[in-house]
Amino acid sequence: MFFNSSAHNPSLDEFREEVRAFCRKEISGDFGRKLELGQHLEKPEYDAWLKALAGRGWLAGNWPKEYGGLGWEPEQSAIFNDETARAGAPWLIPFGVTMVGPVIYTFGSEEQKKRFLPDIVANNLWWCQGYSEPGSGSDLASLRTAAVKGTDADGEHYIVNGQKTWTTLGHWGDWIFCLVRTDPDVKKQKGISFLLIDMKTPGVTVRKINTIDMGHHLNEVFFDNVRVPAENLVGEENKGWDYAKFLLGHERAGAAGVGKFTRYMDQLRAVLAITNEGGKPLSESPYFRRRIADLEVSIATLAALSEDQRTAFHAAGSPSLIGAGALKLRASELQQEILQTMTEVLGRHGLAYQTDALMAGWNGELIGPKESAGILYEQLIRRAATIYGGSSEIQRTIIAKSAFAG
Amino acid sequence: MSAFSTEERQLLDDSFNEYFRDNYGATHAVALARSGDPDGFGRKEWSDYADLGWLGLTLPEAAGGSEGGLTEAGIFFAAAGRYLAQEPLVQTLVLGAGSITRLGTPEQQKQLKEIAEGKLLVGFLHAELASGYDRSHVTTIAQPIEGGFRLTGEKAFAVGAHSADILIVSARIGDAAGPVGLFLVPADTDNMQFTVAPAIDGRRGAAVRFEDAELGKDALLGNNTEDRTLEIDTLLDHGTLAVCADALGAMVAATEITTEYLNTREQFGRKLADFQVLQHRVADMKVFCEEARVVIHAALTAVDEGAPDANLAIWRAKVQTARAARFIGGQGIQLHGGMGMTDEMPIGHYYKRLTMCEAMFGDAEWHLDRLASMTNMSVNGSAATGS
Ligand SMILES: Cc1cc2nc3c(=O)[nH]c(=O)nc-3n(C[C@H](O)[C@H](O)[C@H](O)COP(=O)(O)OP(=O)(O)OC[C@H]3O[C@@H](n4cnc5c(N)ncnc54)[C@H](O)[C@@H]3O)c2cc1C
Repeated sequence: MFFNSSAHNPSLDEFREEVRAFCRKEISGDFGRKLELGQHLEKPEYDAWLKALAGRGWLAGNWPKEYGGLGWEPEQSAIFNDETARAGAPWLIPFGVTMVGPVIYTFGSEEQKKRFLPDIVANNLWWCQGYSEPGSGSDLASLRTAAVKGTDADGEHYIVNGQKTWTTLGHWGDWIFCLVRTDPDVKKQKGISFLLIDMKTPGVTVRKINTIDMGHHLNEVFFDNVRVPAENLVGEENKGWDYAKFLLGHERAGAAGVGKFTRYMDQLRAVLAITNEGGKPLSESPYFRRRIADLEVSIATLAALSEDQRTAFHAAGSPSLIGAGALKLRASELQQEILQTMTEVLGRHGLAYQTDALMAGWNGELIGPKESAGILYEQLIRRAATIYGGSSEIQRTIIAKSAFAG
Repeated sequence: MSAFSTEERQLLDDSFNEYFRDNYGATHAVALARSGDPDGFGRKEWSDYADLGWLGLTLPEAAGGSEGGLTEAGIFFAAAGRYLAQEPLVQTLVLGAGSITRLGTPEQQKQLKEIAEGKLLVGFLHAELASGYDRSHVTTIAQPIEGGFRLTGEKAFAVGAHSADILIVSARIGDAAGPVGLFLVPADTDNMQFTVAPAIDGRRGAAVRFEDAELGKDALLGNNTEDRTLEIDTLLDHGTLAVCADALGAMVAATEITTEYLNTREQFGRKLADFQVLQHRVADMKVFCEEARVVIHAALTAVDEGAPDANLAIWRAKVQTARAARFIGGQGIQLHGGMGMTDEMPIGHYYKRLTMCEAMFGDAEWHLDRLASMTNMSVNGSAATGS
């Protein structure tokens, strides 16, 4: 179908208003100011925000009702994501609620559902994602962290040895969901299992990775003879790759982050308005006006692509592969483009990068607009947007495969 | 104009690169930038440059210099950029020594000798909070007073200004409509407020506020009240080209280390270098390097030969170099994957250096606007022409 039907649904406007009002109330005071300046949040601050969402049932709003969700349609999820991002809300840390949760309620045992899902819905446990390894990035299926099954006095278990890397927020994690090799002798995708590991287990070590923005987001996680009870295996042994692929689809459905781009554009306008060139506000510059118009063409296109994906999802039950790839590709590239444009503005202030200003309570003398450090931090860390979640090269390969397959 | 033959230039290039290869590189650069030391660069390196005669490369013989042109300096800056040297070379040599050579009285020119000997670091403060890249917007005032001037105003963040011994500061003489002069301001003058910070690439700098800072009569460069707007523009054009040379070195290095990385990293049972899409990306990086090299060379030659349209050649060089810098910096990280995001790998430091080079003294779009304003639109006109 060239043009799917997608009429405006007025009942959703009410929901949009509700989310906006909630954000106005919650994102205020010191917390609001920190977010405005793009300062680093501490774990308790994220926790408070995620628990506030959980209090409304919104954290897991798109989960089925039987698992503690509200059964949102993709449209509601999109409104929720857009409005919170637009309001400058903290990152909706996806590892529990968007990633491992759906895997558990789709493939997990009844015990696992009972044990883990309520804590995810309420954000009582912090999860992280243990997929990538030093030797296995784009070629994830080559992963080597080994889980060997055995039995001891305490019962059946796996002994895990190996290393994960690039583990976002691994230093805050209570649990990590891992892809591990349980059968080294078959085709590489067929010997992988999906294991839930308590990070307090002896033998788990987390080590910080410093990133180019000078912050701490990433970690290496080492497993040295870590004993994991067999009941922590999700689904069937050696079916982990299928679950990971399911998760990837789940992760991507409609997640373009258009709300965040709207927020960026607000920031771009703000820094343009207070930056002068030749004594005149840069917002009067024909180049930047054209640049804004150009970026808005891309944002509108992305929003339409995102909506089309949701409609297609309704019609066909699954997002189209090309559409999903296009969304990830374009969203990540556009994010970098907007940040580059903001950096062009900050060039007028000399590109001072005051990382101290990213810490709450800093009251040194600022150089340039108050948002500078936050913007430059974003510009640096978002170089990764075209690398994580399937790099641009891998997305293009997937799209091309699908195109040539006809 | 340059007295240097091709062979001599080659020898210079070899010795610069040999020095930096042996003494510098990302690890050393980062260690210096993050040391508790207030400079954030190497004083020992600075005295090495002096001992090797490199600080006098473009200075007059009378100052102990070797009278090289901007081309020789460009070869030096390219080597410095290639190994991420942190010292304020462009600021001291091109803008600082450049202003004094062009405009200084014989008495003021005596300071050039100290520059060549490595005893004097010079900062250049022209841009202001409301100027952006526009070089004609000056609101700092130098009020003539008994025995000198009183300086009031605020200058924007400039790399190297934090550690300079003297700052060359532009200000309007008398009032807001007065001519723009350049002033030699000792860094320890009273009533100056420095706000020191690192730039995005870790090199340090400062924004400086002058609150009735008192200067002697001899502070005014050239000791006359002629308007210096055009000279400042030329100086900053030369600074721009010097930054292009620095970026060229950084781009060559970024392309090299990315190529090496693709040759060692394996995924899907093959070297990343075997994937054609990545080969083509490296090809584009290489082409960008070559293009930058030749336009920078053309502009350096135009400057050293005193071509009337040398400024246009510089602006073109900056547009081309800034675009290349963005592509190569971004793709350098991209092709390293997650490793490219780590502080430990050199590529991120090159990305940040290139981000800085893109912006310094006017970015691609700003220079393109300048070129556009000079474009000859008559039907028979060729490309942009001078004046
Ligand atoms: C900020 C950040 C956060 C992350 N968070 C997590 C996390 O929480 N958990 C986790 O498990 N992982 C995480 N990752 C890891 C991420 O998924 C990997 O970085 C990604 O899969 C790429 O792998 P790699 O880094 O090994 O790069 P490589 O696979 O080595 O790729 C290097 C380059 O080669 C290209 N390339 C590779 N193969 C091909 C090919 N066949 N054809 C063409 N080009 C190719 C890539 O596109 C890339 O440009 C994170 C990464 C980053 C940067």
